[in-house]
Amino acid sequence: MPEPVLSLTDVTLKLRGNAGLVEILHDITLDVQKGETLGLVGPSGSGKSSLLMIMGGLEQASSGRVLSLGQDLTAMNEDGLARFRRDHMGVVFQSFHLIPTMTALENVATPLELAGHKDAFDRAQAELEAVGLAARADHYPAQMSGGEQQRVALARASAPRPQILLADEPTGNLDGSNGSAIMDLLFGLRDRHGATLVLVTHANDLAARCDRVIRLNDGQIDTTAQAAE
Amino acid sequence: MSLSVAARMARRELRGGLKGFRIFLACLALGVAAIAGVGSVRSAIQAGLTDQGAVLLGGDAKARFTYRFANEEERDWLASISTEISEVTDFRSMVTVGEGDQADRALTQVKTVDDAYPLNGQLTLEPSIPLDQALAGNGAVMAPILADRLGLSPGDTFRLGSKEYTLTAKLLVEPDGMAEGFGLGPRTLLRTEAIEGSGLLSEGTLFEAEYRLLLPPDTDLDALKETALDRYRDSGIRWRDARSGAPGVERFVTRLGSFLVLVGLSGLAVGGVGISAAVRSYLSRKTSVIATLKTLGAGRSTIFQTYFIQIGVLSILGIAIGLVLGAGVPLVFAPWITAALPIPALFTIYPAPMIEAAIYGILTALLFTLWPLARAEDVRAATLFRDALDNTNWLPAKRYLIATILLLGALVGTAVAFSGNAWLTLWTTGGIFSALVLLVVAAMIVRWIARFSASAARGRPVLRWALGAIGGTKEGAASVVLSLGLGLSVLAAVGQIDGNLRNAIARDLPDIAPSYFFVDIQKDQMDGFMTRLNNDDAVSRVDSAPMLRAVVTHINGTPATEVAGNHWVVRGDRGLTYAAQPDERTIVTKGEWWPADYTGDPQMSFAAEEAEEIGLNLGDTVTVNVLGRDITATVTSFREVDFSTAGIGFVMTMNPASLQGAPHTFISTVYAEEASEAAILRDLANAYPNITAIRVRDAIDRVSELLTAIGTATRWGAAATLLTGFLVLIGAAAAGEQARTYEAAVLKTLGASRSRILRSFALRSALLGAAAGIVAIGAGILGGWAVSKFIMETGFTVIWPSVFGVVGGGILATLVAGMAFAWRPLAARPAQILRSRE
Repeated sequence: MPEPVLSLTDVTLKLRGNAGLVEILHDITLDVQKGETLGLVGPSGSGKSSLLMIMGGLEQASSGRVLSLGQDLTAMNEDGLARFRRDHMGVVFQSFHLIPTMTALENVATPLELAGHKDAFDRAQAELEAVGLAARADHYPAQMSGGEQQRVALARASAPRPQILLADEPTGNLDGSNGSAIMDLLFGLRDRHGATLVLVTHANDLAARCDRVIRLNDGQIDTTAQAAE
Repeated sequence: MSLSVAARMARRELRGGLKGFRIFLACLALGVAAIAGVGSVRSAIQAGLTDQGAVLLGGDAKARFTYRFANEEERDWLASISTEISEVTDFRSMVTVGEGDQADRALTQVKTVDDAYPLNGQLTLEPSIPLDQALAGNGAVMAPILADRLGLSPGDTFRLGSKEYTLTAKLLVEPDGMAEGFGLGPRTLLRTEAIEGSGLLSEGTLFEAEYRLLLPPDTDLDALKETALDRYRDSGIRWRDARSGAPGVERFVTRLGSFLVLVGLSGLAVGGVGISAAVRSYLSRKTSVIATLKTLGAGRSTIFQTYFIQIGVLSILGIAIGLVLGAGVPLVFAPWITAALPIPALFTIYPAPMIEAAIYGILTALLFTLWPLARAEDVRAATLFRDALDNTNWLPAKRYLIATILLLGALVGTAVAFSGNAWLTLWTTGGIFSALVLLVVAAMIVRWIARFSASAARGRPVLRWALGAIGGTKEGAASVVLSLGLGLSVLAAVGQIDGNLRNAIARDLPDIAPSYFFVDIQKDQMDGFMTRLNNDDAVSRVDSAPMLRAVVTHINGTPATEVAGNHWVVRGDRGLTYAAQPDERTIVTKGEWWPADYTGDPQMSFAAEEAEEIGLNLGDTVTVNVLGRDITATVTSFREVDFSTAGIGFVMTMNPASLQGAPHTFISTVYAEEASEAAILRDLANAYPNITAIRVRDAIDRVSELLTAIGTATRWGAAATLLTGFLVLIGAAAAGEQARTYEAAVLKTLGASRSRILRSFALRSALLGAAAGIVAIGAGILGGWAVSKFIMETGFTVIWPSVFGVVGGGILATLVAGMAFAWRPLAARPAQILRSRE
């Protein structure tokens, strides 16, 4: 049995809100295998996005252990986590999160620059071509549509060839046709580069394209539903 | 109807408190406080000068004659109008200590007094002995700075002219010492009768005789002045009364005060940038509220009035805080300010400067909030469904443009009215306005350069992010360049002007200026005087000329002040000389010089530049009063006179026959190597004790001290502008914190370490600060060059230490402001920030 790419053991997340300490995730234990496509589904507030954030080291688990590619994310400091993402992960968000003061090309080149690639901009240009946005390379996010912005975000996430792709409702802010196009691109990129993909989604058709689906309810994995899927 | 609804809505919105308006209030309060503070100190000094007028003047009124004592008839009249009279003479001389080669000499301003002196006020002596005792026999008192410089203590002796005196005490306070303003030599005071036998005050010596008067109560000072001038104007009398005890000082304080208020206005203008930004930021947060109100049926005017009332209330609060600070701070520091000032000041709350500062505050607040408020009414209800704010016009409605122009006119008009100096005000306000326009353009250029150089920084992400941030946002470059630029520009211009002027007088002037001015040389001493100098190889040049003092009383038969206004040539007495022929350096620009043997009606050659300023033409007549006698001469030529070299330069030269009969002395300038200056002074002072030598380097030092004081006052004004600019910067940094937090979260997600993000933030701050500094240096050098070339008429070189100081200051200020708001973005967890944006 090969070692899983992502391995979470008894992960709990508690956050302090206005009403006091709220438990967002409760004793989550799961493994994600190399090259697998995992869908995280569940109602709003079930903890899907929080779980994805913990997998990406963007959120620190309150307890439990998170191993990614054999490294313990819970033992790393913030800069260590940033370096780990730079070298191994790509993240796509529902709201794209492009840097507004950078052009499309510069946004895509940023993770490559951070990794010290000399050909960062050539590679970024190729990534934009791959998502069909070569002509929009010099445009700023504000000058692009939502669909175009998400394609730039996809290009940015896949440009460093990460071993793990994390996508948080990547079609949530897009209409049907744009959403389908983005999903085709996302799965196409995964297939081309052989990355492991973890996807948070509300869309059933999207979840159906995943190798495995995990349903969350009130911060816990719904084992009944998982068995049914 | 609409107004009452707006007022109710404004009141409800104000329940939110002052959050988001701290910078708004601080900018307005600081600007108003600076102007009110400067105005309060100016009013305190003016009140002090008025209150102590009689003490400063030395009497209720004063009549002054140049070169002569009052004649019997004049004395009788002065005695008839006064209850008590005191005669005082004033002249320059040399104090000598020791003998021969060991002698030490220093320039002094001698005052000789009678038994009645002082009519007002008290002198403070050390040791504390009565003045009568101190001045008994050949006793004299001396300013401590002069006594210390010569190593004299009470009981020691010194010489004035050829007579020996004993220093009995040091003169700590001379209440009437400030009345004459700027003087070159510290004071020595003795009895008038003690001067006899000293060789000083001989015929033709330059001196002033003053008659201080105590007047009967209820004397009509205006009527008395008119009578005095009617009777004796043509005899060269100058009249002054206690309403203006030290007019020179008062004029200086008023002008410097006006100038500093104008510098304060530049601070308020910078504050206006912060005020405008705060209002824009507030209204952009209120966009959905405004759109909701419009959905519910609120009209444009109701929206405008709602927010106008809110901003109005906050403005009044800011102005009130500024007035309290402006009035309170000088009051709190009054004991220290009074102790530091050489002139009297009466500190209290003066309404006039408060009103002036409040008006400036109101007009500035209106000017800088009108456009953002006008845009608020353009927000459409559709904004609730999509972002429609950016579709509004850049320019507000026509009525707001007209209101803006009217407000600008009112602000300039108010400044002209309050300063009393239209040209200075128009130049300064024009300068501030031009600088703001220039800075806006410069900010656009900085943004453009950053945007286009970002691609050149590929592969260096820290630099590229910084350049991208500067070039990619509308607000970043503009807020920093505008807020810091104006203050730094003022500082840079002061640095360049001050440095160049200092260079001109301290470095360049000694190279072209003479070593010494010798005055009061008697005609029979000239041969010996010239022989000593001509036999000295170290002496390169000696210029000599006869010298008289004269008051220009009439031009073409009309009182001179009516023709020439307040021109310096007709103010007070001026030097006057005669010459048979122009010397080889004289350039006659117009007209003909009189023949060498001319003995006809008096003719005059006038300085060309001053003649043009006054409006003199060839053939005009100029009447001068010399020793009480009027001489009317026809202007027959104009000539170039260069006062900038500190050589001999007379505005008026007459043909010899017109003046030779009048008692006079000679003036001489000696150009010599610095090493031989001491020997020249020793020999000439030993041979001719009555002669006064003025060392030009000492005079230059005094002028430099004065310039330093003015420069320091201006720098304080610029510092207030900079402080306001720094507040605006803090406001901009605080407003940008949310954007930086988001940016940091995304960069962390992409793998950037905190140190890299911090370096990028620091770099963008430093780059913007440097840009603001460079723009300011450009403006400062341009301003400094213009002032040096066209006003000071000196050469111009860039003063590099000032340049580095200004650019360094700009970088430091933006770094401090930027880094103060960098910690939260760096510390924030990416997940929380990104989730909140979903």
